[in-house]
Amino acid sequence: MTERLWSLVEALSASPTLAIGLTLGAFFAGNWVFARMGRPLWLPPVVLAAVMLSATIAILPLDYARYQDGARWLTVLLGPATVALGIPLYQQMHHIRALWRPILCTLPVAATLAAVYAVVIAWALGATPEVLASLAPKSVTAPIAIGITEQLGGSVPLMMGGLLITGVVATLFVDLLAGLLPVHDERILGFALGLNGHAVGTARAFEISHTAGAFASLGMGLTGVFTALILPLVFHL
Amino acid sequence: MPMLRGFLILVLFFLFGEALRLVFLIPVSGGVLGMIGMTLTLMVKGSVSDSLAAASQGLISVLVLLIMPGVVGVFFTADQFSGQWLAVAVALLAGTFLSVLTTLLLMKWLVQGRNRSQAND
Repeated sequence: MTERLWSLVEALSASPTLAIGLTLGAFFAGNWVFARMGRPLWLPPVVLAAVMLSATIAILPLDYARYQDGARWLTVLLGPATVALGIPLYQQMHHIRALWRPILCTLPVAATLAAVYAVVIAWALGATPEVLASLAPKSVTAPIAIGITEQLGGSVPLMMGGLLITGVVATLFVDLLAGLLPVHDERILGFALGLNGHAVGTARAFEISHTAGAFASLGMGLTGVFTALILPLVFHL
Repeated sequence: MPMLRGFLILVLFFLFGEALRLVFLIPVSGGVLGMIGMTLTLMVKGSVSDSLAAASQGLISVLVLLIMPGVVGVFFTADQFSGQWLAVAVALLAGTFLSVLTTLLLMKWLVQGRNRSQAND
């Protein structure tokens, strides 16, 4: 009986349904625990969900390669999801027009430095080229960053981990520096959150205000496009 | 049905982006090229259809779900990068601190400069 139960996972993982079910389950569980914990800034639901999902995969007689194979049915949607980001970008166009000069001057400098600071520091500490390629898109929203890392020859799992940490610490640093500098303009705070902290920062910006959220989406979208266009060209030189 | 129609448009733009990438050997992912194409098309058209808005909101709200299979991988490929974790951690923490500082200072300076020049007008 126990043996039959154990081989059940083997049989069920023959179709992608098990991997999809596990991912969906962890997604909802992560959101639930996050709400229960009082929505802590430093622990976003995606981290909770990922930890729970990893633990489940580790416990079950299911290896990561097989899980990933089944979950590919979900990851396929990342392509159309990236295209979908063009719609809020279009809808934020009036914000760009209102503040286009500061945005256009800051974006190329700040988005480039977001990648350069991390790559230079990691390089100075002896990281391999694969690690550098995985760290370069750390401030870019995940669906775009996956494409960039694949182009550069980095490791997608490492990039994803770095991306999450970047989102969380960018949110904490924006909160900290807003008080120290001081910066109170919600548009600037939102833009900084989206530019440095992609989706995690944008979620935080929407908690501040709708304007901050709009500027964060804008910062996230523009950083994604800019980095996707520039990084592969720079890395190929 | 309307949402599926919106989804079809997203898929078509993605395929268009992939085609551009493969034909012209552009080192940028098809999704990003599709997204740029989408934004430019909407700017020319001047409005977003309800079905496209519904499909894009639906997909964007489940982005976290879509990236989870990739995120989970970091726990299973950890050994591969042993010895580099200090470099990775310092780069992420110090690098992000510096880039947040740069963004805030630059935006603050530029927005203030803009307000001052407007006040002088």
